[in-house]
Amino acid sequence: MKRLLLAVLAVIVIAGAGLGVWLVAIPGPTAFAKGATVALADYRAANPTGVPTELASADLVARGEYLTHAADCFACHTAKGGKAYAGGLAFNLPGMGTLYSTNITPDRATGIGNYTDQQFIDAVRRGVRADGQHLYPAMSYAAYTYMTDTDALAIKAYLFSLPPVAAPAVDNKMAFPFNQRWLMAFWNAAYNANAVYRPNPSQSPEWNRGAYLAEALGHCGECHTPRNPAFALDNRDKFAGTITAGWRAYNITPDPTSGLGAWSDTDLATYLSTGHAEGHGGAAGPMGEASDNSLSYLTQPDIHALMVYLRSIPATSGGLPQVTLAPAPASYRQGVTPDANPRGAAIFASACASCHSWTGVSSLSKYATLTGDRAINDPSAMNVAQAVIHGVQRKIDGKAVFMPSFGAAYSNDEIAAVANYVTARFGAEGAALKASDVAKLKDQSE
Amino acid sequence: MPTLRINGQSHLIDAPDDMPLLWALRDMVGLTGTKFGCGIAQCGACTVHLDGKAVRSCLLPIGSIGNQAITTIEAIGDTATGAKVQKAWLDIEVVQCGYCQSGQIMAATALLNATPKPDDNDIDAAMAGNICRCGTYVRIRQAIKNAAVSA
Repeated sequence: MKRLLLAVLAVIVIAGAGLGVWLVAIPGPTAFAKGATVALADYRAANPTGVPTELASADLVARGEYLTHAADCFACHTAKGGKAYAGGLAFNLPGMGTLYSTNITPDRATGIGNYTDQQFIDAVRRGVRADGQHLYPAMSYAAYTYMTDTDALAIKAYLFSLPPVAAPAVDNKMAFPFNQRWLMAFWNAAYNANAVYRPNPSQSPEWNRGAYLAEALGHCGECHTPRNPAFALDNRDKFAGTITAGWRAYNITPDPTSGLGAWSDTDLATYLSTGHAEGHGGAAGPMGEASDNSLSYLTQPDIHALMVYLRSIPATSGGLPQVTLAPAPASYRQGVTPDANPRGAAIFASACASCHSWTGVSSLSKYATLTGDRAINDPSAMNVAQAVIHGVQRKIDGKAVFMPSFGAAYSNDEIAAVANYVTARFGAEGAALKASDVAKLKDQSE
Repeated sequence: MPTLRINGQSHLIDAPDDMPLLWALRDMVGLTGTKFGCGIAQCGACTVHLDGKAVRSCLLPIGSIGNQAITTIEAIGDTATGAKVQKAWLDIEVVQCGYCQSGQIMAATALLNATPKPDDNDIDAAMAGNICRCGTYVRIRQAIKNAAVSA
C-alpha cells in the first residue's frame, strides 16, 4: 500500500515537473533557425536594427516615427475614435478582467511627459513603469525587449514630438490574483528574455532584418502564435495561428494548405504592404488595423525582409482547408442554393449580393471579392461574422475601402445564417454558427 | 481619364479613375435619371447596366469599366425588354414617390434579360437589394410578371 502511494506520488511529481518544464522551457522566437547567434556588436553584416538606409540620415524624430509605426504602438495605445496615443483601449481578458491601455503622449500629468530615457527603456523593454510597478504582458515588452535602446529612444523622441493629450488612465478591472502586479516578476523571469536581438550569421542579412522587424518591432506572434496556459507565446507552434479578441489570426507559416506556402512572392509582399492581394482577399479587423497603422508604412526592402523571414518559419499544417479559388455560379439557383439555408440566402440577396455578386467576385470592387479569401474559407466563419458585425473601414493606397457594419441591423441569428450561407457558397466548407456563437463573438470583440 | 460608352455614345470623362460612375453620370454627363440613395450599394437607387447586367453605380470606379456598354434609365426604353418593363410599370401605376424607381426598372430589366419567365424566388434574388420606402413591392412584383407575360 505504502509502495503504491509512493509510486503515485512519484508519478505526480514527475508529471508536475514535466508540466513545469513544458510551461517554462519555451524556445526563443528565432530559435528555430539553424546556426548560432552572436551579439549585435559582433555581427559583421548589415545592421538589422534601426531604420532602413533611406532614412539613415533623417533626424531622430523621423527615424522614431518609422520605428513607432513598425512597432505599431498606435494599435493598442489609441482607443476607438480616441486621440492618437492617448490610450484607453480596453482589453477584455475572460476570467481575469479588463485592462486599459495607457496614455503615451508627452502630457506630464496623465501621459509619459516626465519619463526619463531610462524609465522609457525600462517600460518598453522590461515591462516596468516609472513608479517601479510591473506592467501587464498585454504590453508586448517581451517582444520589444529585443529592440535596441537606440531604437527605443528614437520612438521616445517621436512620441515626445507629438502634442500632449490630457487623458487620465482608466482604472483596470482585474480580479484577484490578477490585480497583483508584483506577480508579473515571475512571469518576466520565465518569459521575458530581457536581451537585445542577437543576429544569426548563418542566415542572410535580409533574414536578420526580417526577424528584427517581426520579433522586436512588429510583434506578429502576439496575435499569430498560440499561447500556453500562462499566456506566454508558445513558439513550438510559432505563427501557427490562434484566436485573439474574437478574431482568428491565421496561420502565417509556409504550410501550403493552411498557411502562406501557396502565395506568390508578389501576392505576399502586396498583402504585407497594403493588407490586400487579388485572389486572396483583404485584411479586416485587427489585421486591417495592423496594415493601416503599421505595415503600410514599411519600405519595400523591409517588406521583402519580412517576407524572407516568414518563408523561413517551420510550417505547421492542419486546422484549415484548402482555399477554394473557383468563383460560385452566376445564378443563385446553381452552386449552394437557397434551399440549404433560405434565411442566409435571403439576407445575402438583400444586403450583400449587390456588392459581392452571386459569384463572390465583386462586379464593383476588387476589394469586395470574397472568392479566395482566407476568412471565407475558414469553416468557423469567425472572421466573416466579425466583418458582418463590425464592417470594414480600411485605407489602401491612401483610399478608403469600406463595408458597412451590420451588427446593429441584423439579429445574431441572422448574422449566423448569412455567415453560414456565404462560407458554404463561396468557401471550402459551410460554417454552422448559431446565434449564441455570434453573441460570444460580439462580447470578445467589443 | 477614361472614355466611357454610355447609352451608345462615347464620353471622355475628365476625372480620376477611382471616381464612382454615378458621379460621372449625374455631374459630368448630365444624366440625372440615375439617383443617389445610400452611396454604399445597399439601396439600389443608382442601378445601371454594364453589358446588360445590373450594377450599383455609386461604388463602381470609372477606371474599372473599360469598353463595357453602360445603359442608364434614360435609354433603357430603347431596348425591347426595357420598353416592356416601362409599359408594365405605367399600366398598373407602380410608382409612388418615384425616387427608387429608375433603379427598380433597371434591376427588373436585367432580371428579365437573364430570366425571361421569373418566379417569385427569381424576383426575390434579383430585386431584394432594391429598396422602396413607399413600399411599392407588391406592384413591382406584379409589373415584372406582367412584363414577362407580354414577351
